[in-house]
Parts: sequence; structure tokens; C-alpha cells
Amino acid sequence: MSDYDFDRVNVLLAEDSPFIRSLLVNSLKVLGVGNVFAVEHGGDAIHFLQRVKNEPMRVGVQQIDIVISNWDMHPIDGMMFLRWVRRHKDSPDRFVPFMFITSYTEPERVLQAREMGVTDMLAKPFTIKHIGEKLISIIERPRQFVHTKDFFGPDRRRQKLDFGGPERRILNDKSEGVEIIRG
Amino acid sequence: MDKNKPVIVRFYRFKNRLKEKTAGLAPGNTSISKEAMEAAQQALSKMSEDYPDWVSSLIVKLQEQHSRCVDTPEKRHELFEEINRIAHDMKGQGGTFGYPLITAFSDSLYGFTVKRPGEITDNQIELVKSHLDAMRAVIRGRVAGDGGEMGEKLSESLNEAIAKYDDS
Repeated sequence: MSDYDFDRVNVLLAEDSPFIRSLLVNSLKVLGVGNVFAVEHGGDAIHFLQRVKNEPMRVGVQQIDIVISNWDMHPIDGMMFLRWVRRHKDSPDRFVPFMFITSYTEPERVLQAREMGVTDMLAKPFTIKHIGEKLISIIERPRQFVHTKDFFGPDRRRQKLDFGGPERRILNDKSEGVEIIRG
Repeated sequence: MDKNKPVIVRFYRFKNRLKEKTAGLAPGNTSISKEAMEAAQQALSKMSEDYPDWVSSLIVKLQEQHSRCVDTPEKRHELFEEINRIAHDMKGQGGTFGYPLITAFSDSLYGFTVKRPGEITDNQIELVKSHLDAMRAVIRGRVAGDGGEMGEKLSESLNEAIAKYDDS
């Protein structure tokens, strides 16, 4: 068994509380994450990603590997930021893993985030163990992205459950109307 | 696929580049080094100890804003905005570090300093002070958790102040 090397990993962190921000930056650094770019709210985060797209040399990063964002921020909150990342034409990477860190853990909130295409959610109060588990999940269990007329995001089906009956799903990989893009 | 048929769903399946980046191409299980996990947990705990100091520094800032509200009534709307911003900063974090009372009190402060039209009365300024007093007592006494009897008393006296002064 070997250890992950996070040295080449670039994380963008959007968190408006200076205290929590430094806490998270510090935790990620001690875990070995090479680059953590921290910004204060969703607007700054969008601005940062635009710069990554337009002037990567000046920002010093070609690609953000993981986005970690608070939900409740002003003036641009995490949900608007997520929407921009997943849907806006200027987004440098609409497929980037996006994790909310939030004290909103009510089921309807989780559902709302999932429908907007969130990859994972880290609940406050968090521990290092939680952060570690989420990182591993993002690395080891990426999901295919699904694009339909009203959804774009990581597949909302996480588990492959054995189903003891006939396959009645309307579409499969070979159906007409299904396009598979590999890269 | 027939080009004329409309696409109903697209699936994007990519190579796992993040895994390549962090675990290389070698087969086998990968984990986060135990030492790194322990070091990070220690760093987090160490920083959490600074939480009361951080809150104290914010209470000092709130205190300054409160004094200005008393001295320059014409600037109250502006000052309330700043108070509201600081309260927002505080309210999300208390629970994380074992001080839910700070979250409760700052949430209450946040709630009644939200921007609204009309005059900001002396009573409302007095209410800011009641909140600051309650928060200060929590931090001074290191009243963690729900604070037991002490916590109950603090919440009660703050609620009394709210009942007395809140004329919004």
C-alpha cells in the first residue's frame, strides 16, 4: 500500500470566514496538497477561474483539480458559483470536482446541491478524517457526467445495486439518443 | 449513431487523471499517509484552541461599532451593516469549535441588524450591547457546549433584553 502524493494537486477554496479559511488552507497543506488558492466568496472564485482560463501563466496554475466552497457566502454564494462552474461558457472546466463545505445538511438542501451538479458535500463541523475521506472519494470514485435537457453534473446514481428483476430502464449505452463521450 | 436522431442524454466518461496525478500508474491500494493525517489533525486542534481569541477580537470590533453608534447616530445604518457582516462571520463557526452559544447569540445579532428601512433607535443600540455582553461572558467563562446552567442563564437574560428593547 502506498501513499497519495498531493504535491501536484491544485485546490481552489472559497470561504468567507477568515478563520475557517486559514483552518482549511492549513489542513490541506499539512495533508500535502501542493497548491491551495483561497478566495473570499463565489465572485472572487469565478474571477479566479476566469484568470486560470485566460492567463494561466500569470496565475501560475494551468488547471484547478478540486474546488472546495462554502455555501453561505456574500455577495455571491456557493450555489451561484457552482452553477457558473457547471453551466457557464466561460467556465474553464465544467467537469471539475466541486465540494460544498456547509452546515446546511437538511435533505432538501443536499438535493438542491445535487441537482445543480455538486460532486460531494462536507458537513460542518468537520474533522481531518472527514476531509481525508472526501478527498479519497473524489480521487477513487469519480462518476460519469450526465447531460440531459434539465441536468448537467456527476451521475446522481452513485451505487450499482443488484436488481433482481428485468432491466426496464428505457435507455442504455446502445440506445438511440444516447451519446457517449470518452476522453 | 444516426445524425438525425436527437440526443436525449450524453454520458461523459473520462480517464481518471486525478488518480494518475496523485497515485501514479502503479496498481494497488493507495491511502493518505497516517503521519500526514495525524499532523493535520494536530494542526487543526491547535488552531481550534485559538477560536476563543478569534471571537474575542471580533467582539472588540463589534464593541467599536457599538460605541460609534452611540456617538454618531446619523451613521447608524452604515455601522449596522458592518455589525451585521461581523455577526455573519461569527455565526457559522461556533458549533464547529464547541461554542454553539456563540453561534446562537451571533445569529440573533445578525438577524436584527439585517438592513431595513426606518430609524435605528437607541433601544436597538442597547440590544447590540446586550448581545456583546452575552458573547463576552461565554468567551470569558469558556462556556463550551450548551453551557449548562450558566448557558441557560445567559440565554435567558439575553431574551429578556430582547423582549425589553426590541421595538423593530
